[in-house]
Amino acid sequence: MIAGNSTKSGGPAVRLENLDKYYGTFRALRNVNLSVERGEKIVVCGPSGSGKSTMIRCINRLEQHNGGRITVLGAELNDDVGNIDGIRREVGMVFQHFNLFPHMTVLENCMLAPMIVRKQPRAEAEVRARRYLEKVRIPEQAMKFPGQLSGGQQQRVAIARALCMQPQIMLFDEPTSALDPEMISEVLDVMVTLASEGMTMICVTHEMGFARRVADRVVFMDAGEIVEEAPPEEFFSASRNERTQRFLSQVLGH
Amino acid sequence: MVSLLRNQKVRNALLQVLYVGSLAAMVLACVMIARRNLAAQGITSGFDFLFKSTGWDVNFSLLPATANDPYWWYFLIGIINTLFLGSTGLLMATVVGTIVGLARTSSNELARLLGRTYVDIFRNIPLILQVFFWYAVITHLPTPRAAHQGLGMLLTSRGLYVPVPNVGNLAMVATAVALIAAVVLPVWLGRTARLSRPVGERLGIQVAGAAAALVCAAIILAVGRLPDLPLVDFPALQGLNLRGGLRIPPEFSALAIAIAIYGGSYIAEIVRGGFKSVGKGQMEAAQSLGLSPWRIFTLVRLPLALRAMLPILANQYVWLMKATTMGIAVGFTDFFMIVALTINHSGQTLEAIGILMAGFLAINLSLAAVFNRINRAIALKGNQLRG
Repeated sequence: MIAGNSTKSGGPAVRLENLDKYYGTFRALRNVNLSVERGEKIVVCGPSGSGKSTMIRCINRLEQHNGGRITVLGAELNDDVGNIDGIRREVGMVFQHFNLFPHMTVLENCMLAPMIVRKQPRAEAEVRARRYLEKVRIPEQAMKFPGQLSGGQQQRVAIARALCMQPQIMLFDEPTSALDPEMISEVLDVMVTLASEGMTMICVTHEMGFARRVADRVVFMDAGEIVEEAPPEEFFSASRNERTQRFLSQVLGH
Repeated sequence: MVSLLRNQKVRNALLQVLYVGSLAAMVLACVMIARRNLAAQGITSGFDFLFKSTGWDVNFSLLPATANDPYWWYFLIGIINTLFLGSTGLLMATVVGTIVGLARTSSNELARLLGRTYVDIFRNIPLILQVFFWYAVITHLPTPRAAHQGLGMLLTSRGLYVPVPNVGNLAMVATAVALIAAVVLPVWLGRTARLSRPVGERLGIQVAGAAAALVCAAIILAVGRLPDLPLVDFPALQGLNLRGGLRIPPEFSALAIAIAIYGGSYIAEIVRGGFKSVGKGQMEAAQSLGLSPWRIFTLVRLPLALRAMLPILANQYVWLMKATTMGIAVGFTDFFMIVALTINHSGQTLEAIGILMAGFLAINLSLAAVFNRINRAIALKGNQLRG
């Protein structure tokens, strides 16, 4: 399953140790520690600017951390380009604004990376792309361009595109925040299916219903630190942390 | 009747009729006045002069030219000179603009500074001054006897002498076509094979395409070569002058360099804008999929930047094509200068200017049409507002 020798089996899927990240003099992450087991589903929540996105963007090196250690599938994420490439092959990411390639069809979006990065032959890549498009329930849109789809459809294509690389870990960075209410559920449904199949997932989201249904653990962040880490039933009903309670009352209050 | 005048459709139709009618009346008046004035001066209007011989020479021509040739042949020479200067200038300006534009978007601070300085300087000096500057530089190059030499070429104050193959005219054109195919074919093959074949195989097809075109060019050269002459005609010093090869006059070089450098500064800004317009998100998505920086550039960043650049680039190309009329300032016989000389010698002002305008319209409208086609072919489908 694992391409290259930069990642090896055994140990947690993702481990963050004493992670620090600065933007200039602003400290975006403070001493973050988190360990995610294989097959685990983590929901990360917290007020805006709390470092949630920064944290998961560090995991596939869209942001460079300034201190601490990141280990993904047994390989340490450092300046070694081989490690970065190896980790990116195994870690899929879904963005808030979908970020599809607008000059390629939906099918081409899904086939591009497998063909170039995984060196899959075209026929195989196409079969796999169509299978994942079926999985996200838009096989009929394969020949359309991203600009011709609704937001919810685009986000499902983005999920299929990431899955086509057959990653072991999926990162979701506020996947439903840019969507109209009626499109949120079609994306969440796909994510729930993915979770039920045992994918390791780290989701930054404000969908608390999704967190309740799917998460093994909820991580609450504020001002660049992890404030609380708990199973959802405990997090939503029994949290004694004052910052968590304030956040929950704002998110669930109306 | 009044109610009819209040009808919007009737009103619009009436306005149209009024507008077209007054325009036609104006044109008619102009033509009649011009005819009367010309008749009073004893000038016969019409295009008969096109078939008379000119009696003067041109200083640069890609076609054979003598003073006995008729005006229409000279117009053709002028158009070809303009196209030659324009295409050389545009090509060089594009190369300069791409390099400077990429420098301006570079993450290297020194490159950005150099790029910005370049644009600030050359965009803000009038083109005609730059033409005079380069003309002065080139005409102060050494005399033929002390010529700079390199690659079989000679650089002197009388111009740049380049070696040319000793082949017939037809073979020359065919070779040029084959050489253009050697560049276009790999690009086209790469496009059609995009995503349908693995990268290695695609590169092989492209190389094969280019090689086939180059072999064709070589065969054409071998077959079309003139008997009893060496294959390539190298320029060489003979007495006080240079013989052989093709002479690119200083006027042409000065204009081409000025257009390249001045146009390059504008194109650099277009290139920069194009690359800046590509969303960071698409590049991050490509990174997160594990694509290499080079792949991200060729498959995502460049294709998207090109789409943003092309419409503005077409505009700039049309503008630079018109800038070739600077030829008259240093005495390069482009289309405009030939028309100006024609007016001096034949007195057929209206006809010659009409031909000049029609010629430039034809050149620039064709250029615009080609770009519009490309634009339509590669336009992004659907609504792009959703990021």
